[in-house]
Amino acid sequence: MGIFSKSNTAKVHTLILEQIKDVEGCLVSFSNFTKAAVDHGTSIETLRALAESVYQMEGAADRSLRAMIESLNNVAYLPATRSELIDVASKCDKIANKCEHVAEMMVLQKFRFPKEYTEEILKIMAITQKEFSVLVTAIGKLFSRFDELLKDHAILDEIRDLESEVDEIEMDLYERIYAQKNDLAERMQLANFVELVCDVSDIIEDIADRIQIMLITRKA
Amino acid sequence: MIYLLLLAGVFMGWSLGTNDAANAFGTAVATGVVKYRHAIWIIAVLVVIGAFLAGENNIGKVAELSTSNEVTASEEAVKNAIANGTVEELRLKSALKAAIIFICAGVTVFIMSCLEFPVSANQSITGAIIGWGLFYADYSDPAILAVNLPQIEKFAMTWVINPVGAAIISFVLVKLVHKFLEKRLTSLAHYDTMIRIGYLGAGAFASYSIGMNSSANVTALYYDPFFETTGVAANLLTSAQVTAVIGGIAIALGVLTYSKKVMMTVGSSIAPLNQIEGFVVIIGMALTIVIMGNWMGIPVSTSQAVVGAVIGAGLTKGAKNVRFGVLKRIAVAWVSSPTVAGVMAYLVAWITSGYFG
Repeated sequence: MGIFSKSNTAKVHTLILEQIKDVEGCLVSFSNFTKAAVDHGTSIETLRALAESVYQMEGAADRSLRAMIESLNNVAYLPATRSELIDVASKCDKIANKCEHVAEMMVLQKFRFPKEYTEEILKIMAITQKEFSVLVTAIGKLFSRFDELLKDHAILDEIRDLESEVDEIEMDLYERIYAQKNDLAERMQLANFVELVCDVSDIIEDIADRIQIMLITRKA
Repeated sequence: MIYLLLLAGVFMGWSLGTNDAANAFGTAVATGVVKYRHAIWIIAVLVVIGAFLAGENNIGKVAELSTSNEVTASEEAVKNAIANGTVEELRLKSALKAAIIFICAGVTVFIMSCLEFPVSANQSITGAIIGWGLFYADYSDPAILAVNLPQIEKFAMTWVINPVGAAIISFVLVKLVHKFLEKRLTSLAHYDTMIRIGYLGAGAFASYSIGMNSSANVTALYYDPFFETTGVAANLLTSAQVTAVIGGIAIALGVLTYSKKVMMTVGSSIAPLNQIEGFVVIIGMALTIVIMGNWMGIPVSTSQAVVGAVIGAGLTKGAKNVRFGVLKRIAVAWVSSPTVAGVMAYLVAWITSGYFG
């Protein structure tokens, strides 16, 4: 049964970190895609090629998730911990799914962000990437500095602060979008893409909340 | 045929097993830390080991109480029976009285459980012994009083000392774990390994303590404490160790055959505690039973110990965490279960006085 097997848990740790790395890769590809989508000089072929890279990274993240779930079969973790780890990993996978979905929709609809929103969209992407890198550190601590994480949740608060920043920008964008005089359908399409891009940040915050619940239920 | 009367005690042990097993591994099984089939075998084996290694002391104490309360025949009564050639009759009567005490305690446990009171089978048995003694034993006799009064005092004191002791032990253990253990848990894997080892160790220790503590209650009334001096068996069992082991096996049977339902219920009711507190509470309960057993010299209630230990763990986060209203109901149950068993035994003693008197 391997109750005290270290190598089993180390393998799960490695596979989770690999999956997160793939999700991070997907997020970076998505960020490159978004940068291209706000640059009106980019050709549709280049956009498609960048979107393809997002799809590939999403596929890699999916495969890593499956490998991680399979590795939990014969491991020393308790049933509750296994289910929590699967939950965290599945939520991370949602980030890649969301990136893939947004890229797909933008390519299909040949959508480009208007130039006046470039700065905000790039800012959202930069904050989201930063948020994800903090999340990677927090997840790493689950496996290496669990005691620190139990004592101090500041790293998770940092994620929530970054998400709030994204929220503020998102609200500001909605206000500006709906203040425009152009066609309502266009405004709704734009608002929808803003919402989809910001969803990534929300998912990261959800994962931080899930980790906090893991910590609270373990705190003596 | 006379040995069929032993079945009343075995049944009492069986029902203790179905309930007390939950105290040892309920939380661990309910949360999936330990598999049910692993848990029941660990409990069964360690209950019997506890009974074999340490149950003898309590057998002597229960036998002393039952002798002074005229449930078990006194040395003098045995000697008279030898002289009159009525040993077999005395043996039958002793075994019958033991069976009556178990039936009274069993019915009490059943009634109290139907009323949804947390009941102590151990204390119901003691209550029934004392109830029988209040009818038959001459409490105006200083010699009887000298034996019985300290026992009754001890018995009443355990209502307070047992849960309070368990609460203190559990409180200190949770604080120690918080201070020294938590910072050593550097990964989730460490945490899970510690939880698994903690529950296995605590459950095994608790099972041992249940065997040590409760085996006496389910068979000691069939034990003849004067066999070595009289050389004649005036009851069904003549070896304290064998008596304890039979009690342990009866409890183990209960664990192995019908403990899942209660185990899951107890597991869920303790769920508000986190996993570390969960196994620390079990260690607190088991430590209390062992200490009380050695110090007070009488079997104590495992239910009282576990309630006390849960309160102690809850108090580490402040008094607001403890629902004192619930405690009133528990306190009523603690006092009423031995009282009801005692009254019932008294009435049966009165009804059957034509035969036993």
